[in-house]
Amino acid sequence: MSFFHLRLFALLLMVLEWTRPGLSSPLRPICDLRVLDHFIKEAWDAEAAMRACKDACSIATNFTAPLTRVDFDVWEAMNIEEQAQEVQSGLHVLNETISSLQASNQTDVLQSHIDASISNIASIRQVLRSLSIPEYVPPASGGEDKEMQNVSSISELFQVHINFLRGKVRLLLANAPVCHQGVS
Amino acid sequence: MESRGRVDGFYTLRSLRDRSRDRFHVAQLLQDETEHIKCFVEGKDLTCFWEERNNLHHQYTFTYSYENKNKMACAVSSLLASNKTIFFCKLPKTPFFTTLDVQVLRDGRMLYTRSLNAENFLFLDPPRNLTVMSSGKEGQLNVSWLPPPLKYMDDSMIYEVRYAVEGSNMGKVEVVKVSTMLVLLGLQSDTRYKVWVRVKPDGVAYKGYWSAWTEPVFGVTPPSDVDPLIVLLVLFIGLILCLLSLTVILSHHKFLLKKLWPDIPTPEHKFPGLFTVYKGDFKEWMSQNNGSMWGRSVHVYTEELPSLLEVLSEVSRTSHDTSQREEEEEKESESSDSGLTDRWRDPPHAHWLMEQLRALQENPESRCQSSLLQSHDTYVTLNQGDNEQQVDDVFEETLPLQTLFTTTGTSSLSTSHSDLGSLQQSSGSGRLSSQSSFEYPNHTWAPKGPGYAYMAVADSGVSMDYRPMSSSRIAELGRHRMYTNDYKNEICPHKWPLSGQYIKSGSESCTGPVW
Repeated sequence: MSFFHLRLFALLLMVLEWTRPGLSSPLRPICDLRVLDHFIKEAWDAEAAMRACKDACSIATNFTAPLTRVDFDVWEAMNIEEQAQEVQSGLHVLNETISSLQASNQTDVLQSHIDASISNIASIRQVLRSLSIPEYVPPASGGEDKEMQNVSSISELFQVHINFLRGKVRLLLANAPVCHQGVS
Repeated sequence: MESRGRVDGFYTLRSLRDRSRDRFHVAQLLQDETEHIKCFVEGKDLTCFWEERNNLHHQYTFTYSYENKNKMACAVSSLLASNKTIFFCKLPKTPFFTTLDVQVLRDGRMLYTRSLNAENFLFLDPPRNLTVMSSGKEGQLNVSWLPPPLKYMDDSMIYEVRYAVEGSNMGKVEVVKVSTMLVLLGLQSDTRYKVWVRVKPDGVAYKGYWSAWTEPVFGVTPPSDVDPLIVLLVLFIGLILCLLSLTVILSHHKFLLKKLWPDIPTPEHKFPGLFTVYKGDFKEWMSQNNGSMWGRSVHVYTEELPSLLEVLSEVSRTSHDTSQREEEEEKESESSDSGLTDRWRDPPHAHWLMEQLRALQENPESRCQSSLLQSHDTYVTLNQGDNEQQVDDVFEETLPLQTLFTTTGTSSLSTSHSDLGSLQQSSGSGRLSSQSSFEYPNHTWAPKGPGYAYMAVADSGVSMDYRPMSSSRIAELGRHRMYTNDYKNEICPHKWPLSGQYIKSGSESCTGPVW
């Protein structure tokens, strides 16, 4: 039920932003990591469900998925914009890949997980927007400037999904400058 | 625990002694791990180890790769245990959130393999700076600690606090999420407690094993103390209750005194000076007062109104032709029901009476047949036997006195809604028996013989003071054919309403007492 409330909250934030006259004041920053933890718990459920179905969930085509690996030394050496760009592009790719699954015939349970993951990604984008994280900018040139990986199964895709949320997205949110203004 | 340095010779003899404890502890923790290769992350470094029986000498190789990329080798070290050897390899600065494939090769051949994500096997250091303090309140202790120094994980840890009475092995465990302090409740007062804490990732963003317990810290609970406010309140309320009860007692002291310590009635006020002057010597008092006692009317009044007592009797037709005088007697009696019940005796002649009743009912000659008297009334019937027997029978101590109570039911002989029945005496002159229909209760009395007397007392609350008279007096009475309970023979078949009027009738007509 709290997932529903979070979606409603995100929707409300969007509506409020549109209807606000004059200057668009920034959203109230969502610094509480429990919001993201909630999405991560749902991603765990989706990953467990996809892991259980092996044969029924296999699809011939390959998927493009972001890299989830985090080297702490490398990550801490990146600035906030680079980190944001990596996270935003990864979310974008995940969103597209998982959305493509909606068209395929899946069971109701899996379909619900797919829908939940898509809406969660949208909510995470809202949270990033509230923290003044730069939006995703498609690469100017045609080629990909961010490394991606190929996954061959739906279960692997959802493993990438959960690892991406737990890793890069969470690290970015935990270190958002807006949330540490008073501290640092 | 002391800080760890990344020193070469990490597993030198000196450091091995310190680390071996951790390793063995970890090995114990990972007993449940079913994989051959057991891995954990300390800080940012991944350590994987496996156990082998130290009987053979083999060449072990450890390789790992990330995301199916190039395999890399790791230097294998060993640790001698009791009857086994532990081989381990440490991968510094392990990347998280990615798949790691590790293999163990023995003599070039694949022995074990495993695929894992490093962030799921965190083995944290135990919490630091554990402090236990008394909060001042009874049975409470404040426990606080600091999380292990790790970045990014401050808010994704859960803790377990274990506490036990010093010297006891029975401990309780409390789980604490995120917060680094806890108040222990429900402890014994003035007791020394041992407290431990350990930590684990909460399983959302990071997963792992429970850390080692901290060193125990002791705390003493404060002694039990009675809150002075509560003592004051209790005293105050007690005082108020005392005052209230005192007020009630004083305002109703007369009533309470009468209930608790009733006055024993004495005839002293009727015999002035008998007890005070003459010390109870009645003869003396009589002589002094020269028989004025009989001149005065001795009325023993009680506070209650006198109640009417109708004595019904019937002389047997076979033996008596003379009519009996009916005399209704006004009897004053004590009104206490308890006094009444005390004086009744068990009636042993109920059976005989029942027979009489049946005989009478079958007999159509009786004039007033089976008149149902008012069930609310109780009636006294005297049945005097023959003169020769009269003395013995009527006034014997053992003569039963039977009452038929209807509504009050205070007597053990009482019955509900019994109607007075007719009773016919069997034989003997001077017998009096009532003639009316009776309905006896189940435990009716069994008359022992023709010479019994019984009384059914009318009215609720009437107590009869039935005192046996002396033999000489009875004989005298018998001679003069005087007995106090002459009454009309017939009882007319009409209901007798209850009223308070007293009627004395000596006629033989069929008039019943009008109450």
